[in-house]
Amino acid sequence: MRHYAPVVFSLIAIVPLAAQSYKAPRTPDGHPDLQGIWQVLNTAAVNLEDHVAILDMPAGRSVIVDPPDGKIPYTPAAAQQQKENFKTRAKADPLNVCYIPGVPRVMYLPFPIQIVQTPKFVLMASEFAHTLRRVFMDGTKHPDVALFWIGDSRGHWEGETLVVDTANNLPDTWLDRSGNFHSDALHIVERITRTEPDILTYEATLDDSQVYTRPWTIRMLLYRHKEPNATLLEYECNAYLEDAAKERK
Amino acid sequence: MKKTLSLLVATVTAAALMMFAPIPGASQEKQEAKQKGGKGKGGPPGGDQYGPYYAAPVKPGEAVGRTPDGQPDMQGFWTPRFNQAIFEVQDHPTAQPGIGPGKGAIIDPADGRIPYKPEAAAKAKELLSKQIYLEPEAHCYVSGVPHAAYQQFGYQIVQPAGYVLFLTEYAHTYRAVPTDGRPHISPNVKLFRGDSVGKWDGGTLVIDTTNQNGKTWFDMAGNFTTQAIHVVERITPVDSNNINYEAVVDDATIYTQPWKIAGQLARHPDQNMELMEFACVEGNQDLVHYTEGVGGKAKEVKK
Repeated sequence: MRHYAPVVFSLIAIVPLAAQSYKAPRTPDGHPDLQGIWQVLNTAAVNLEDHVAILDMPAGRSVIVDPPDGKIPYTPAAAQQQKENFKTRAKADPLNVCYIPGVPRVMYLPFPIQIVQTPKFVLMASEFAHTLRRVFMDGTKHPDVALFWIGDSRGHWEGETLVVDTANNLPDTWLDRSGNFHSDALHIVERITRTEPDILTYEATLDDSQVYTRPWTIRMLLYRHKEPNATLLEYECNAYLEDAAKERK
Repeated sequence: MKKTLSLLVATVTAAALMMFAPIPGASQEKQEAKQKGGKGKGGPPGGDQYGPYYAAPVKPGEAVGRTPDGQPDMQGFWTPRFNQAIFEVQDHPTAQPGIGPGKGAIIDPADGRIPYKPEAAAKAKELLSKQIYLEPEAHCYVSGVPHAAYQQFGYQIVQPAGYVLFLTEYAHTYRAVPTDGRPHISPNVKLFRGDSVGKWDGGTLVIDTTNQNGKTWFDMAGNFTTQAIHVVERITPVDSNNINYEAVVDDATIYTQPWKIAGQLARHPDQNMELMEFACVEGNQDLVHYTEGVGGKAKEVKK
């Protein structure tokens, strides 16, 4: 029976996709069409883990599907650092000073994301500070020159799923407003599947041996904006920060 | 950490260099290239010889191709050639602090100057005297239109179906121009980047831009905008390496007549390049450098 173990394991792994019967329309070059304006309807931006509400931070369920306890598998030192981050979040959260949110945080901010596709790129444009993710689809590798606020993303298609590998992440970004964090060893693999005409199932596995004891995975849904006048506007964070500072004077 | 540091240093230094060295010079070119570190093959070791102020050489190309949905294909990396418009959009024979003398990009009126009404001219002069504090890009604001067309560090054009996208390295941002015939958004919504809608008129992309918020400038020299600005750009690829650019700017509240700029976009010779990340807000020391450079007033503006 021993040889059945891997089979059982892989069956479990493919269940979410096997259960999916929807096949997305194709772009002219034959790949699933993920284009449109999308946004989450959850509180992952507040805290990826289960959380009760506090002022200006609504309650929400964990979006972590692995490990099963829905908690980030921090090392003891990193868990301590997260607590410290939470306490000092008003000043320490990089988004509070309008820095580029990083991956995966930009995907579940309370701002819409527009996806457009060309044969060479999948582009993900967030309304937050005109932040742009450029996912190279040309088989090229991560560069060895620099770290980026938004990381370096290279993708490929696996059937219905866009698989995006992101490395070269600066350690200065956070994962949410509760101080959940990573180091520059962070490596992310996202799996994005149009599981229904107007729903993207978004999954990201985060690996970072400096702060986590094992890789862990978040999963959530992005919903299509169907309002006829839906369009990306802008949130020029740093400009508003300056305006607010002037008003306080 | 070393990689992290070098990127931050590059960002900050590039921003500082931009402010202090308005006149292109050999040493700046070398340093800029080294700091910026272009990623493609080709070009001199260590970087991109066509930095923010350097027009790529005009090389005749092939006939203009077509995208799968039939648009004239302008995709790739482009270096703007607009004289010294990035410093001041109008002809500016006299040096100002941080702005060397040079030609702008205005072809109408013939004197190369913005046809301001008197009170607007006075405001521009006032802003010029304070530009070291007020220049919007020193605050990392995104550029408006047409400034985005002669954006420092150039840009990449991508044409997915129904759009022309301009992806700029500066501030790691984008400008999206839908070409699907949609109308402008409500005039109640004002944006730094405005609302652009495009259509192809034969081989020319015509972009109509309204809804700007009046917080952007044309340049570093105090040439301001208002919410009444209306811009029509005409972008014509002439061959695979060259694009002609024209824009008519109209704003009856501050100008006596519409005026026109013109320039060219030259294809960057390294087509394997990838845009880097000019993380403006994250590395911004411009205001500090600026003010220290003119008498140590940094503390007044440092947050």
